Amino acid sequence: MTDTKNHSTAGVPGSPEGRVFQPGSFNELAEAVELAFDYRGDVTVSLKSGESISGYLFNRQVSGSDSYLEVFPSDSAETRRIRYDQIATIAFTGEDTATGKSWETWVSKKDSERQIEVERVAAEARTRGIL
Amino acid sequence: MAVPISQMATVTKYVLSQKLSGVKRYPLVLMLEPLFRCNLACAGCGKIQYPDHVLDKRLTVEQCLAAAEECGAPIVSIPGGEPMIHPEMPAIVRGLVAQERYIYLCTNAILMERKLDEYQPSKFLTFSVHMDGLKDEHDLAVCRDGVYDVAVKAIKAALKRGHRVTTNTTLFDDANPERVRKFFDAMMDLGVEGMMISPGYSYQKAPDQQHFLKRERTRELFSRILGNPKKKWQFNQSPLFLDFLMGRREYECTPWGNPTYNVFGWQKPCYLLQEGYAKTFRELMDSTEWDHYGTGRNEKCADCMVHCGYEPSAVEDTFGTLSGFGRTVKLTMLPTSR
Repeated sequence: MTDTKNHSTAGVPGSPEGRVFQPGSFNELAEAVELAFDYRGDVTVSLKSGESISGYLFNRQVSGSDSYLEVFPSDSAETRRIRYDQIATIAFTGEDTATGKSWETWVSKKDSERQIEVERVAAEARTRGIL
Repeated sequence: MAVPISQMATVTKYVLSQKLSGVKRYPLVLMLEPLFRCNLACAGCGKIQYPDHVLDKRLTVEQCLAAAEECGAPIVSIPGGEPMIHPEMPAIVRGLVAQERYIYLCTNAILMERKLDEYQPSKFLTFSVHMDGLKDEHDLAVCRDGVYDVAVKAIKAALKRGHRVTTNTTLFDDANPERVRKFFDAMMDLGVEGMMISPGYSYQKAPDQQHFLKRERTRELFSRILGNPKKKWQFNQSPLFLDFLMGRREYECTPWGNPTYNVFGWQKPCYLLQEGYAKTFRELMDSTEWDHYGTGRNEKCADCMVHCGYEPSAVEDTFGTLSGFGRTVKLTMLPTSR
């Protein structure tokens, strides 16, 4: 079966990286969660209890007062489910891994820049033992 | 004949049993993504753009086998990431073979020759090697020189050991039909069992849409590539899907046909869109609002003609209509009659 390439937001200005959302209403919160769901980096969810969870937000379910999101914490193998009404802020703290990775950006680079990147990726793969 | 008779018979029996049981929505191919980590970094690939701790996650053997059992599809396609990075991939494959499912292990082939000893040849196992064209096109697509040659060497080694090998190819709007036809010749000359092709399609995470194929362009491109086909070309996919790509048949999407399971769970609604995740296959089938997806029903699906949504539609046509059945038989027996 063809492994279709799923090109992503890569290189698009306006990435939320570095932004912090402190929603004032359920709708604002839901909007921030959607943005975080589409984000290709880690976020930090701060709870009203004072606890903070950093990780990749991979799922959410919007259903009134039962709404929740799910995070793969960066320091744990177990997923964490968080109810919307527990959330105080959502910060886009991790690197947006899609930024600057579009095909167009790649093609527009100079040969020398591409070569450096190819070597970096290959070296990283070798270090991981996957090349 | 590109697809072995035993595989055709298994799929036929499965589809007919679903129909006789009155099942309206059934899966045909499980897309099993056991990891997202890859040893290439193809520009624009959205499958690998995750934080490291996500890329380091792996589905376990037990999770993979349980997903296949739960889903029940007769065919399992294993993309990624690069599946051959997964240290337990041979065990996953052995388990799926034991379940008598037909497996397409999708790979860029960089590790394939080195790891061939870990896999027993079987009618249930096919290495589906990612090849996006001849050397120049392929190496450009994967952003690394030399990968085409490595893949060709690995294909030869796998064939020599008696493995089933196919190729999988994604075509974008810059594809040159003449070069693609030469590429088909080259792959068949290598001795692969068949080829799989699909148009590249962007989804909501791709605002740079100009690189992707729109429907009219897709039909024109595939008509030029597949018109007047050569006798030696074999395609390891439904002939009606190829008709669809050429604009000769109209289909609606069957998003439940190729359900996707990965480290996040069962992906809603399909392999390309990520609208959320279900914990179980049953939950995926029951809670996804299927009527919201497909061309004309969702702007994200507007120009999609990708195999994961439309090949199941073609299979449904084969078993659901006399004209579809007749055309499938004709094109299977006489592929050059297209």
